[in-house]
Amino acid sequence: MGVGIWCFGCYLLLVSQNKIQAVFASRILQFGSIPIPILQLHFAYLFIDISKKRRGLLYAGYVLTFILLISDLFTPFFIRDVSPNLYFLFFPVAGPLYHIFTIIYFGVSFYWIYLLTKSIPSLSPLKRNQAKYVAIASVIGIIGGGSTFFLIYNIPFPPFPALLVALYPLIISYAILKYRLMDIRLVITRVSIFVAVYTFVLGIPFVLAFWLKPWLSAVVGFYWWMLPLGMMGLFATIGPFVYIYLDKKTEERLFKRQRRYQNTLKQASLGMSRIRDLDKLLKLVVHIVSRSVRINYAGIYLEDKENNIYNLKASRGELNKPALSLSPDNLMVKQLIAGKETLFLDEIKSRMMDAPDLESLKLEMAALGATVVVPSLIEGRLLGFMVLGDKCSGEIYTKDDMEVFTVLANQAALAIENARFFAESKEMQEQISQAEKMATIGTMADGLSHQINNRFHALSLISGDVLDSISLADTANYNDEQKELLGEIKYGLERIQDNVIQGGEVVKGMLKYTRKGDAGFGQVSLDEIIDATLDMVKYKIKLSEIDIIRDYPKDIPKVKGNLTQLQEVFFNLIDNAYDAAMERKQAFKEPGYRARIKITTEYNNNGVLKIDLEDNGIGVKEEDYKKLFTPFFTTKVSSRKPGGGGLASDSQSRKGTGLGLYVIKKIVADNHKGKINVLSRYRQGTRFKLELPVAWAIG
Amino acid sequence: MGEKLLIVDDENDVREWAAKFFRKRKIEVLTASNGEDAIDIVNKDRPAAMLLDITMEGIDGIETLRRVREVDKDIKVVMVTGSEDKDAMNQTRELGAYDYIHKPLKMSELESVVLKIFEKEKNEKKD
Repeated sequence: MGVGIWCFGCYLLLVSQNKIQAVFASRILQFGSIPIPILQLHFAYLFIDISKKRRGLLYAGYVLTFILLISDLFTPFFIRDVSPNLYFLFFPVAGPLYHIFTIIYFGVSFYWIYLLTKSIPSLSPLKRNQAKYVAIASVIGIIGGGSTFFLIYNIPFPPFPALLVALYPLIISYAILKYRLMDIRLVITRVSIFVAVYTFVLGIPFVLAFWLKPWLSAVVGFYWWMLPLGMMGLFATIGPFVYIYLDKKTEERLFKRQRRYQNTLKQASLGMSRIRDLDKLLKLVVHIVSRSVRINYAGIYLEDKENNIYNLKASRGELNKPALSLSPDNLMVKQLIAGKETLFLDEIKSRMMDAPDLESLKLEMAALGATVVVPSLIEGRLLGFMVLGDKCSGEIYTKDDMEVFTVLANQAALAIENARFFAESKEMQEQISQAEKMATIGTMADGLSHQINNRFHALSLISGDVLDSISLADTANYNDEQKELLGEIKYGLERIQDNVIQGGEVVKGMLKYTRKGDAGFGQVSLDEIIDATLDMVKYKIKLSEIDIIRDYPKDIPKVKGNLTQLQEVFFNLIDNAYDAAMERKQAFKEPGYRARIKITTEYNNNGVLKIDLEDNGIGVKEEDYKKLFTPFFTTKVSSRKPGGGGLASDSQSRKGTGLGLYVIKKIVADNHKGKINVLSRYRQGTRFKLELPVAWAIG
Repeated sequence: MGEKLLIVDDENDVREWAAKFFRKRKIEVLTASNGEDAIDIVNKDRPAAMLLDITMEGIDGIETLRRVREVDKDIKVVMVTGSEDKDAMNQTRELGAYDYIHKPLKMSELESVVLKIFEKEKNEKKD
């Protein structure tokens, strides 16, 4: 603004035809330049965010500026006269107050440059860039503006650098657009209101003075100018209030929607920590953001600690193919982890000349549909991030938006941690109560099966003994009727015995699960494990359809382990192998195909027994097999046809829970300090490689 | 014939019917419903063999076997077991159990295991 008036003044000065006009032009010129130092100071304080602390100084500065303005326009103390100077027909001649202005101008200028350079290291990267532009602009402005002082002090240095002053607003505007110093609409609105208010406020006295001068001099006499001056003083005092009022009103209007959604988001972020269901929470965040801000796409990626990956957990809006997961090696994720700052697509676009490697970052963001990416951090760790697309209105994101999103993201991070903790503790509680239940059932079943077994035992003995008596009896004298009756009794007792033996088998099976000492580890041979497994698995799969080949020497060492748990491991592996074989059988109908599992071992006297379990099933595709051990991952489709399995529960179409291999890995790696790996080739088969510590190795 | 068989079980029916079975085969049968009685009888009557249930109230079959071993090293003890408990099997094997019968028993198994003992005894006596 000041610069604008100054330029206008320059122009007037240059085209002035006579002395009076020239004096007037000089005054206009100075009217523009007088507020420059104070405005610059204010801007500096705002820029490095200390304007509130220096309020007193700023106030004093504005009062002084106002005094100088008044004295410039209406008294000769600032500009005494005009005289020819160097190339100029008319050039201002300084009054006493002008010297004060000179001191202030240079003082503030150097102070400003000092402040700016001092604060640069402590600024954020974004502000640092802005600061560079502002500093360049200021130096140019100061050199340009400063050059005009020489002639006033009769130093014959032409004020041509003054033309540089025009660059100042240009550079600042560029910086505004490029680095969002302020919302551009806000700048335009503020400037227009300022111009309107001050034209009106200061214009009325001028008009009054110009048109009514004859009339006023006639009525009021020689001091006619007192009236416009008084009015000007009055209006100038009211001016700022009018300006502030109008500014606030228009801004409210202009940003009504924006303010409204910003408030909504702030409110929402406060309520978030109360939601304990993680999925619900994420959906809600995405919903609120995309609805209230009206953006075409919003998505939240959340860290999966175990697999060290960021997964898309919730999204809304249209995007062709959003990436479902991103690894921390992803350039954008890297940038978020390192920078811990919001990323703007626009900024990356415009900053690309500074750092060409940002090109790929830009491409990645564009692929994710991201105009803005807001990180959620907890203690410096990237918990997740929110991807936002363009606003439907086509408006750009402002600094205010960013502040709101940052608050939202941080609140979301807290809420997410909260929800996760809640889910974990709930799951743990469930596990504990499940374990307790199982333990109770186990103890009960143990006692029950012993009781039942004793009854069977007695029944078997009684019926057996009676049968024995019958077979020992001398039946030579019995008549036919008696013989027939005896035969019937004998048959009945035999049936009882058969049933008792079968019942005994059922109880034996039950006792296997409740057997005492299972909690402990002992020496277990591979044969023992496989026998126990086949005993169990035969109820689930048809052993007649698959060859299980034990191709290992008899003298392999026993492993240190828990039979029941290892049984679970082999149960799952054999069950999976069977499913894979059946899938291959059904999918390809290869003639002569027969399911096969081959178990081999390798022992190198190093305390570790290597056990390989290889099947000739359908195998796993390469992209899948790295994920085999992650929970809830499954490639199993309903592979068993209804009735194909052994038990009734299998008659429903079967689908893997995806927990089997996860549990296996836990048992092998965590409980047994062993290893499990997998090799697989689609249509050829899968090989699980187990390593278990042998019994003597861990004492 | 003079050879005695001791049947130790806390189930009345089991003792009664097992005893009946062997008495038919002219074997003298003694019975005990718990471990302590069994030890007393072993001390007093020196049976040649015993059928010993592992799971009993009071002192169980394993402990009974251990104490019986202290007074009689030669008695042939057939353990009657209700489960596949490998630990119990190993312990009793170490204590010199002669053989095992699984519950619920099969009459033929009982007969062959026990009669085998007495045949052997007879042959040893003859020699």
